[in-house]
Amino acid sequence: MKAKPGYKQVKRRSGALRIIHWTNVLGMMAAIITGLYIADPYYQTFIADPAVDKYVMAWNRWVHFIFAIIFDVTSILIVYLTFFSRVDKAYKKVIPNKQNLVEFWEVFLNLITLNRRKEFSSEHSDSFNTTYFFIFHFLMIWMLLTGLQMYVHGLGSGISSIGAWWPWMLHLVTDWTLPVSSFLVGSTATGTNLMDVRIAHHTTMWLLITWVVFHIYYQFWRTIFWKEGDISIIVGGSKYVKIEDGEKN
Amino acid sequence: MSMGNEESVKKLFTAESAKVDTNKGDAYYADLYASCQARIEDLKKLAPLNNRVDFTESIEDQGLGRRDFLQWASATTAMLMLPASFTPLVAEAAVLMNRVPVIWIELQDCAGNSEALLRSDGPKIDEIILDIISLEFHETLQAASGHQAEKQMDEAMEHFKGKYLLFVEGAVPLGMDGQYGTIGARGETFVDHLHRAAEGAAAVVAVGSCATFGGIPAAAPNPTDAVGVMDVVKGKPLINIPACPANPSNMVGVILHYVLTGTIPELDSLLRPKFAFGYRIHDNCERRAHFDAGEYVEEWGDEGAKNNFCLYKVGCKGPMTFNNCSIIRYNEGVNWPIGVGRGCIGCSEPDFWDKYAYERPMANANIKAPTGGVEKTVDEFGLGLLTVASIGIGIHAAASAVAGKREDGGEY
Repeated sequence: MKAKPGYKQVKRRSGALRIIHWTNVLGMMAAIITGLYIADPYYQTFIADPAVDKYVMAWNRWVHFIFAIIFDVTSILIVYLTFFSRVDKAYKKVIPNKQNLVEFWEVFLNLITLNRRKEFSSEHSDSFNTTYFFIFHFLMIWMLLTGLQMYVHGLGSGISSIGAWWPWMLHLVTDWTLPVSSFLVGSTATGTNLMDVRIAHHTTMWLLITWVVFHIYYQFWRTIFWKEGDISIIVGGSKYVKIEDGEKN
Repeated sequence: MSMGNEESVKKLFTAESAKVDTNKGDAYYADLYASCQARIEDLKKLAPLNNRVDFTESIEDQGLGRRDFLQWASATTAMLMLPASFTPLVAEAAVLMNRVPVIWIELQDCAGNSEALLRSDGPKIDEIILDIISLEFHETLQAASGHQAEKQMDEAMEHFKGKYLLFVEGAVPLGMDGQYGTIGARGETFVDHLHRAAEGAAAVVAVGSCATFGGIPAAAPNPTDAVGVMDVVKGKPLINIPACPANPSNMVGVILHYVLTGTIPELDSLLRPKFAFGYRIHDNCERRAHFDAGEYVEEWGDEGAKNNFCLYKVGCKGPMTFNNCSIIRYNEGVNWPIGVGRGCIGCSEPDFWDKYAYERPMANANIKAPTGGVEKTVDEFGLGLLTVASIGIGIHAAASAVAGKREDGGEY
């Protein structure tokens, strides 16, 4: 689409990042729908059905785990792109240096003054939004590790279809979530238990849903009030910004 | 969660899976066999301790034959994850169990573990073996009381110093300098009692969920500041046999392992023997197929319950509980909780009373805050958070719309 007179188009998200974003959207919806079923099977299978036709919980778990694995992979990609992306190295925006702190504060003021004050460049990713994404990825990694901790106990024999290294590695990487979850959830007993991990996993789901609600609202709000087509960043990969005086289109 | 902090963290980071390598090679088992045999020869030379019953007679008295005994021996060999060739050794070790002195002390608990091994209707071999072990001191069972009992314990500890196995049943209250629980004519606190008994023990075995993780006494709000034995006893080999009550088969397994090899069995990060707690209930449950099929008991006594459907929706915690009762069951294979149609309450896990035993799926549970008081479910909390966020967004959106219109003056 051609830019309006007085506006220029700026590229913001690579194709890879956009694909990852929508994969995550799809995956998250699938993970929540199936995760809620795993926590508490909320629909009933018909008792009259012969058991041979039914595999309802197993299918729910299958979908949940497959998307967990996809999330694993996209998370690794995101971590990589955070540091090495050619378009936007996101980590530079979450370092708490003066420039970022000022920008974070200004974007926040813009939000709470209902766009009365806008003293930062909206041409590139800003510190506020990037920090917000950072929180998401932090929660997401916590979800993956607690999820894999619960998952690995299904491989109690210490073997798996892809070899013994897999459960071994999962134990090595995720066993620390046991004491951390017990600390977060609070336990009066000696020793740590898997239930605390599960409670932490379930609670974090709600934090993520809340995160998503604000995220969607905020991106629409920006699009409507900034009038720079921000929402198309995640669709077409670019947005529009006003051309400053003296700048060439 | 307070188990010897640094040490427990180290353990967790180095924890391997619960799997026991059951094929360590012929050379390993040949060595082990030789050393076990030597140990049994040594034990044979010892006279039975001031105990009492002869094993073979005892078995016959209960109407069990040698065949039953050998069946038991081969099953126990398999439970201990030893090759079948060890069966004769296990049988011999069982007969020699009255050579190993055991001191059993009882702290903050209900005596349920003692009951479990004594009260079986028709005692089976596990229970008989626990009858004939050389129990030098057992507060609940002995006739002596007061100063006499204390004297008996002192003598047993002195006589068998460094040799006896100390079984501990019950949690250790630490609040108010331990004054929540005292024992004997001198009013010794439980924690001092435990320290004194543990000092000369060859190994300490914590039996039942109270002794291992604090159990019900340590449940929120834990008024007596109760902890498990592993928080108190340091620098001794320690074995945890949780569950409420602990399965007598697992107690016998641990004693037999000690009699046979002179060592304690391989343990997991919570110091539980892997031969017993390396299994997740869920993975060996007879109703697992119904779980995968999505066939659940919706309420007690419904059509699903009549058809032995999965108990997950009435709160079964098998998926988060490690124990071998789905395999060996209780009372020598008679039955177990899920077999009688009610869910697992996770009694062998730390904090089970607060986190497992509420008989609802986790999503429907009113999980108490650790200090008691505020009761809020995770989902209510989540929905509340979501509502607050939505209200905030609503206000912001409305304000933005109004402010935006005013600023634009209707201009696009």
